[in-house]
Amino acid sequence: MMRICKIPHSAPRLAVVAFAALGLAGCYDNGGDPKIQIGANPELPPLQQYLVPPIRIAKVVPWGQETPTVPQGLQVHALANGFEHPRSLYVLPNGDVLVVEGNGPEAPIHRPKDLVTGWVQWFAGAKGKGGNRITLLRDTNGDGIPDVRSVFLDHLNSPFGVALVGQDFYVANTDAIVRYPYQEGQTSITALGTKLTDLPGGPIDHHWTKSLLASPDGSKLYVGVGSNSNITENGIQAEYERAAVWEVDRASGAHRIFGSGLRNPTGLAWEPETRKLWAVVNERDEIGPDLVPDYLTSVRDGGFYGWPYSYYGQHLDPRVQPQRPDLVATAIAPDYALSSHVAPLGVVMYTGTDLPASYRGGAFVSEHGSWDRSPLNGYKVVFVPFSGGRPSGQAQDIVTGFLDANNQARGRPVGLAVDRSGGLLIADDLANVVWRVSSKGSKPQPDSAESK
Amino acid sequence: MTAHNLSRNAPDRMDLRFSGEPIHPILVSFPIAYFTAAFVTDLAYWRTAAVLWETFSDWLITAGLVMAGFAVIAFVVDLLRGKRSHTLAWPHAVGYALAVLLSLLNAFVHSRDGYTAVVPTGLTLSGAVVVILLITGWAGRALIARRREGADL
Repeated sequence: MMRICKIPHSAPRLAVVAFAALGLAGCYDNGGDPKIQIGANPELPPLQQYLVPPIRIAKVVPWGQETPTVPQGLQVHALANGFEHPRSLYVLPNGDVLVVEGNGPEAPIHRPKDLVTGWVQWFAGAKGKGGNRITLLRDTNGDGIPDVRSVFLDHLNSPFGVALVGQDFYVANTDAIVRYPYQEGQTSITALGTKLTDLPGGPIDHHWTKSLLASPDGSKLYVGVGSNSNITENGIQAEYERAAVWEVDRASGAHRIFGSGLRNPTGLAWEPETRKLWAVVNERDEIGPDLVPDYLTSVRDGGFYGWPYSYYGQHLDPRVQPQRPDLVATAIAPDYALSSHVAPLGVVMYTGTDLPASYRGGAFVSEHGSWDRSPLNGYKVVFVPFSGGRPSGQAQDIVTGFLDANNQARGRPVGLAVDRSGGLLIADDLANVVWRVSSKGSKPQPDSAESK
Repeated sequence: MTAHNLSRNAPDRMDLRFSGEPIHPILVSFPIAYFTAAFVTDLAYWRTAAVLWETFSDWLITAGLVMAGFAVIAFVVDLLRGKRSHTLAWPHAVGYALAVLLSLLNAFVHSRDGYTAVVPTGLTLSGAVVVILLITGWAGRALIARRREGADL
């Protein structure tokens, strides 16, 4: 584990005096108890500005023979491993599991700071080569270990979200949604894709993942498009149609902004009771260990959720100029805070039957884990209970152990999916594994080329 | 013909030279120019909030610090060779050291994201550095003038 303090140890005394004189001295405050920032009304401390933003990265160690930890009554095993940066998961109607392997495009160096950022990401193991492909897994004998494994689609461009509507399979690359013809039972697609629409991509492409979700009737695709910066440091022009959820018409490819001010909406899901759209969103950095809490929220049609001008309603961010009081006045506070810097990258509403009934109707959220907060936060999969279409209680830790006892990272959870037997699948992009969580003693049903 | 023979003033000016010119003063002019330019681009960012100007400031301050590092190396080499100590202009040394330290601090302030990378702390530091450089330049010139008049320092 590594920490960088505000003032380097070797700083000359004169510099220390200068720091102090400017009222900027003092080492980092540690983050508080994340529990007070979970739920509908998170405590929001005053914001801080730094000379060197806090960086705390967990050292990477292998899992060895160990696995993540689950509560009593559940079991977990590695479904498959050996992927190239698996980021998201999708289950086809016949039970085949798709593993989307990708990483961000090379970031341009615009400021001296970008040089440091690249090094920090490398140290955290976030620079792993992305496969730019989708791998298909099929378990034909129901032993929980896939016996068919094939490259489903290759030569993609930083893919993340995928969705199947009828016989149209959509891939959200970082710069476009591409449609491919799919026949049930197919283990690889060789047909050329057809572009449905461009998406905001490079050359900056700060938040590169594009999450994807089809509407229940299949007429629309919803796309989570992240901001092009932490807090508009690349200029407001670079944010055109970003930090938003797009609604794309599947027939024409035309799009409109469905929800905005959502800094990085990395996961989308339909709430099963009210059929409303929900998203997990990564909030801004560098204003303190407890600011700003990442969140899970319903996304209202036309709703504005603050970024970049404000957070949690009307809390202004002084780093954004010129401000937009007209927009801030309309900013909606998100529904459910997950606490700060946990980096939620996946969400799935559980409607399966394998896991205990208490999980039905609630949301599993994967928290990739913090890199700019001490103590570390996230690095687990949590469950948020729902009732009446709204979160109805404290989030519970469900899958933990991604950090070992010494706070070293063995894995980092990203994409979630529920397989046909009701097992919870978790992509781990650090260990390049897909984990499967199920009820103790339960057996997955075998997959075949046809859906049953 | 060696580089030393090219020196115009022998024998007490045997510091590091490039094409007959002493290297240290050449290097010193780079951070002075860069830090001053950074103040101008900071002013532009303050007035326009156009991120282009902030990016200029970031690189100018960083480049100024790099060139100041080379200038310090040349200065130390000259000191070690025992060729500079009695001609050392102390107001220069102290002024430049302060300007470089404040600029180092300023580089960290400028590494913030968004408007507060410049306004108000970054802009203030850039301005303070320019003031220090002006005073240092004036004091250095006054010192040289007094030496020429034969003042014993």
